[in-house]
Amino acid sequence: MIITQQKDIEEIYDMIKSYSKILIVGCDGCCQPPRSINEAKVLAQMLELKARSEGKELKWKAITVLRQCDDRIAATTVRPFIEHYDAIVSLSCGLGVVMMNKVFENILTYPAQNSLFGGAENNAENYFAEYCETCGECLLGVTGGVCPMAGCAKNLSNGPCGGTVGGKCEVGGYTHDCAWVKIWDRLRKFNRLDLFNKYRPPRNYRKWSSPRFAEINKTYTNEEETMEEEK
Amino acid sequence: MEKVGSVLVIGGGIAGIQASMDLGDSGYKVYLVESTMSIGGVMSQLDKTFPTNDCAICILAPKLVAAGRHENINLLINTTLEKISGKAGNFKVDLKQKSLYLDQETCTGCGVCAQECPVEAIDFFNEGLSKRAAISVKFPQAVPLVFSINQEVCIGCGFCKGVCKAKAIDYTLKDKKTSLNVGAVVLAPGFDEYDPEPTHHYGFGKFPNVVTSIQFERILSASGPHSGLILRPSDGIIPKKIAFLQCVGSRDKKHGAEYCSSVCCMYTAKEAVIAKEHMPLVQPTIFSMDIRACGKDFDKYIDRAQNEYGVRYIRSRISSVKEISESNDLILNYETENGEIVEEVFNLVILAVGAMPNRSTKELAKTLGVELNEEFFCKTKPFSPVETSKEGIYVCGMFSEPKDIPETVVEASAAAGAVNILLSEARNTLIEEKKLPKEIDIIGEPPRIGVFVCHCGINIAGVVDVADVVDYANKLPDVAYAEKNLYTCSADTQTNIKEKIKEYNLNRVIVASCTPRTHEPLFQATIREAGLNKYLFDLANIRDQCSWVHMHEPKEATEKAKDLVRMAIAKARNLIPLQEQHVSVIHKGLVIGGGVAGMTAALNLANQGFEVYLVEKGDKLGGFSKNVYQTIEKYDVQGLITDLIKKVDDHKLINVFLNAKINSIGGYVCNFTTRLTQGKNKEFKEFQHGIIIVATGAHEYQPKEGEFLYGNDDRVILQSELENLLFTNSEKINGAETIVMIQCVGSRNEEHPYCSRMCCSEAIKNAIKAKEVNPNLNIVIFYRDIRTYGFKEKFYNLAREKGIVFIRFDQENPPDIVKKGSRLSVNVVTPKLGKISIDTDFIALSAGIVSNGEENEELAKMLKVPVNSEKFFLEAHVKLRPSDFATDGIFLCGTARGSATISESIAQALSASSRATTILSKDILVTEGIISKVNPALCIGCNRCAEVCNYGAVGVRYEEGKMISEVNPLLCKGCGDCAAECPAEAITMSHFGTSQIEPMIAEAAHVEFGNGRPRIVAFLCNWCSYAGADLAGVSRYQYPPNVRTIRVMCSGGLPKRLILQAFLEGADGVFVGGCHIGDCHYIAGNQDTLRRTRDIESKLESIGINPERFLRKWVSASEGKLFSETMIEFVDKVKKLGPIESEYKNKSIKVSK
Repeated sequence: MIITQQKDIEEIYDMIKSYSKILIVGCDGCCQPPRSINEAKVLAQMLELKARSEGKELKWKAITVLRQCDDRIAATTVRPFIEHYDAIVSLSCGLGVVMMNKVFENILTYPAQNSLFGGAENNAENYFAEYCETCGECLLGVTGGVCPMAGCAKNLSNGPCGGTVGGKCEVGGYTHDCAWVKIWDRLRKFNRLDLFNKYRPPRNYRKWSSPRFAEINKTYTNEEETMEEEK
Repeated sequence: MEKVGSVLVIGGGIAGIQASMDLGDSGYKVYLVESTMSIGGVMSQLDKTFPTNDCAICILAPKLVAAGRHENINLLINTTLEKISGKAGNFKVDLKQKSLYLDQETCTGCGVCAQECPVEAIDFFNEGLSKRAAISVKFPQAVPLVFSINQEVCIGCGFCKGVCKAKAIDYTLKDKKTSLNVGAVVLAPGFDEYDPEPTHHYGFGKFPNVVTSIQFERILSASGPHSGLILRPSDGIIPKKIAFLQCVGSRDKKHGAEYCSSVCCMYTAKEAVIAKEHMPLVQPTIFSMDIRACGKDFDKYIDRAQNEYGVRYIRSRISSVKEISESNDLILNYETENGEIVEEVFNLVILAVGAMPNRSTKELAKTLGVELNEEFFCKTKPFSPVETSKEGIYVCGMFSEPKDIPETVVEASAAAGAVNILLSEARNTLIEEKKLPKEIDIIGEPPRIGVFVCHCGINIAGVVDVADVVDYANKLPDVAYAEKNLYTCSADTQTNIKEKIKEYNLNRVIVASCTPRTHEPLFQATIREAGLNKYLFDLANIRDQCSWVHMHEPKEATEKAKDLVRMAIAKARNLIPLQEQHVSVIHKGLVIGGGVAGMTAALNLANQGFEVYLVEKGDKLGGFSKNVYQTIEKYDVQGLITDLIKKVDDHKLINVFLNAKINSIGGYVCNFTTRLTQGKNKEFKEFQHGIIIVATGAHEYQPKEGEFLYGNDDRVILQSELENLLFTNSEKINGAETIVMIQCVGSRNEEHPYCSRMCCSEAIKNAIKAKEVNPNLNIVIFYRDIRTYGFKEKFYNLAREKGIVFIRFDQENPPDIVKKGSRLSVNVVTPKLGKISIDTDFIALSAGIVSNGEENEELAKMLKVPVNSEKFFLEAHVKLRPSDFATDGIFLCGTARGSATISESIAQALSASSRATTILSKDILVTEGIISKVNPALCIGCNRCAEVCNYGAVGVRYEEGKMISEVNPLLCKGCGDCAAECPAEAITMSHFGTSQIEPMIAEAAHVEFGNGRPRIVAFLCNWCSYAGADLAGVSRYQYPPNVRTIRVMCSGGLPKRLILQAFLEGADGVFVGGCHIGDCHYIAGNQDTLRRTRDIESKLESIGINPERFLRKWVSASEGKLFSETMIEFVDKVKKLGPIESEYKNKSIKVSK
């Protein structure tokens, strides 16, 4: 899930203050905490109150979209509304904001949130954590499910380095856990230290450099082509 | 003789109410006889309850109302029992109702008479600390709300008759006699506090600043004589130094009684803590002999009182109190534990008075032919704790032994459980179901609203121009009809309302009168009788929250009444008919645990004809009690167990599964499915059942290796092992010279910070037995506090008379055991004697009771119920729902809940089965109408609803392959928290949802006051703040008429956007009121209120609204004064800030219409 944090009202208001009619679009997708219609309405109300205090009147509509990061869904859900509004405020992650700007070329979409990271939900301890940095070459199979790319400050493929003391990392003054110590513990538990001892060649960092694209699985619409594929 | 399906319950305290509710819910007709004017008993006088500091009236009042409106319960107030004949199953009882001098049916409880009454008599509800009229009601929340004339003080002036518009008063009314046929009688006459006045004990009655604890309770109460301020009686000054004297009238053969009253230690700690909370400058000191904090979480409470609140405990019994005549201060002399004599001056002395048998009980027992014990309490046996000496007559509460509220509630349900066995064949024979017309389908019709505005005599009409309100209502859109009534609640008006519904084809009805908390059910029943769905009704509270609190501003009050009516109409337009769901009940029960509690519960259900599955993890029934031979009262425990096992084995409706392991429990109340493996061959079983009783028990603490040399030396044994020796192999003791017992092993320490409740009695029992076996034996018991509560105190006295030595030690200096040649030597540093050393042959460790730990946690997870930090199961409410879990259909009893004696476990088992019977006895369970609903099309499957729901009623059901949230209508209590939390607005709360509340906000905020008077929108939770606002009305605490209140079920059901909506609509200030944290009617809904409102507070500044325009405050149902003060202050503050438009730069923005 994409972990987000709402921007200060002042900052959002600053972006949209020159408009008098705005469309506020929530996102039912993976953004955490969920920013659906309820949050969209609360934001809209706050902006209206803020506008009033600045001596303006702000007209708004709040809607929500299944996923803003999907061009088709975004287009079909939002298109019926946009012509009445001067600008869009998006409550999705950065992906949604970019996609909305791309789909609706003639109107600006502003972000209401800061996107923090792709995170996992630890409900029991009440926090989101970044366990995966989408590096493109997954090592989790040989590291006992602990990611050295997300967990090791130096992104080492063959750790630990000399900077680990008592299971803590020197980067950040021995406050964070050393991922490689965790990896060792975890593999030892399952008696798979053979994986640990195996040398891992250097990574292909190109897979980890922006911008990145991937093809969507092609769907075959032509009947002949489908037949051919099946053969 | 045929059995009669009705029960007479004597005494309307919490015990009587609980027993009546259970019996009424189980299909019996109940006559609840109360000798005073209102049910509620002593609990209604309490300010707070220990150990949770819950507001007593907040948790009690809903119960009073529920009992009052229960269709199977007949309340007979001011009534006593005259005569009884017949026998179990069919008694004939003669009752006498003393004349109230007014007609109970006609009295509307409006209270004008009491205001006009010139007499100032002593207010016994406030323990004589204030005055009341000769015609009066017991307390503002009284049920039934009927006034009565106290003939002893009435001067016969006739004023009340003159002002009574309802014409209820009739001085000629005579006492009324009735006779009834009932199948059983439940006695719950309660107790009286020890009265120190006749002997001027501790100067009470002579020195004005010596008060009893119950008087102090009234002083502390927000609705008491000083509105919660602590003022001493002599001069009304705040007492700085307060002394609490324990054991006044208890544990004292000379004054009062020999037994321990069980509750005083805890209520004193509570009073000290609350005093400190009310006024931090007071310094409470408690003088006590032992601190008997022997309940769940009680020790923690004492610790907090000492460490957090700085309450001083001194171990000393004060012999006398002297007064300094000039200042009325009081001098106490006491001896500290190290022998020093100290003289100290206190400003106020509070006597922790004990519980005495009720004054009426001797006569009552004589009438009934029920035996009393030597203390004049009702005689019961340990294995049948709710049975009296006469068959068919049962007892509960304080009448059988002094005990606290949860034990009382347990016994009340247990008495109902005992009645269930006696009368199960006559169940449902006397219950009439009301025939109602078919509901009119109004879907799609435009709203046609009828408005009925009440004069309430002069209560409303004296301030509000009712005719004007009616004219105004008539002009509003969608109003088809409006009229005014003298009393809308009177019987003839009900007929009138029904006629008008037909005549004008009304499809929504609004009554503008008093509070929905008491009168909504009446009007709902009326419109239902006219064929309208009962949820098509709303009440505008123009009395308690308008005319009574704005008595001197008739113009503004009329304005407000119009607004309240307009708001109610706005809501009514969006009201929709709600249907209660009907779910059929599987008449089978699952009992988990085959100990005494489990077997008792299983037998109780089976004897009523319900099939029971009894699941035991071990290979034998009997549980922990297999290690116990006798109770302290010398009753044979082994005999009891053998008897129970035989009965269980022989009962054809009980299926016993031994060596069983539960794999899963699914479903919900009425329809659970359990899968388990049982027997040596791990045979798989699956079955359905309607309820679950958890009776998994607990076990004895096993000392760690080497703790007090246990395990290292054979002569160090556990108390249970000593008991085994004494009863099966007593020759071993014959040769011994000395036995030392050490108390609190594995109790009251850091690892187990609670008292195990029974170890003191166990030790004393074994010590007495050992003395009987070998009279020359020296027995020394090292203890921290001797906690022989109730009648067990006698055995403590007996033990000391037999020469058993009791020596106290501190937690910091536990006894040290060393091997000394062939003997053992115990070295202790005691507070009184210094260092001592005792040689001994045996050492018996009184090991505490510990929970089944992880096993409990595992089961709790399966049942989705909570456990506490010690891994004991946590009941729904520690005071009033001790046998229930918050999740419906699951009950608990025995030591699974916390340490309990065998007698208490049996009572709890009966109680749990009685609670279960309220479900099993029904064929169809009817759910609440006001619940949350999920629109599956909008749900995004985020499961936030499940996180806020405290009842496990809503959540995404992953297991069925769909990611859509569902509400279980059987479990939903209708707080609306999930609807407020739902990000996708997929959940709507019915009746109090955004579609109903939003138009109310608009109407509330669109008020043009002029003269700079601010517009305040107040959201109040139904149970505490709204009740508090009502109490402000009843008590006539005036506040500015600028406030427009909107009732919500729970403040946690209030979404953020409704608060912002109020500002957008033009409110100058917004108030959110809820229950105090920890007091929430829905367990913890107000925690979510706190989270949401804090979020809004933090952002108000940045959106250009002064944060002072928003206020969140917890107001309890007893804090009427606080509500009015809060309103005065808030209105004043907002007034200074000016209208909200003043914060807008462009003044041309108009927000009000």
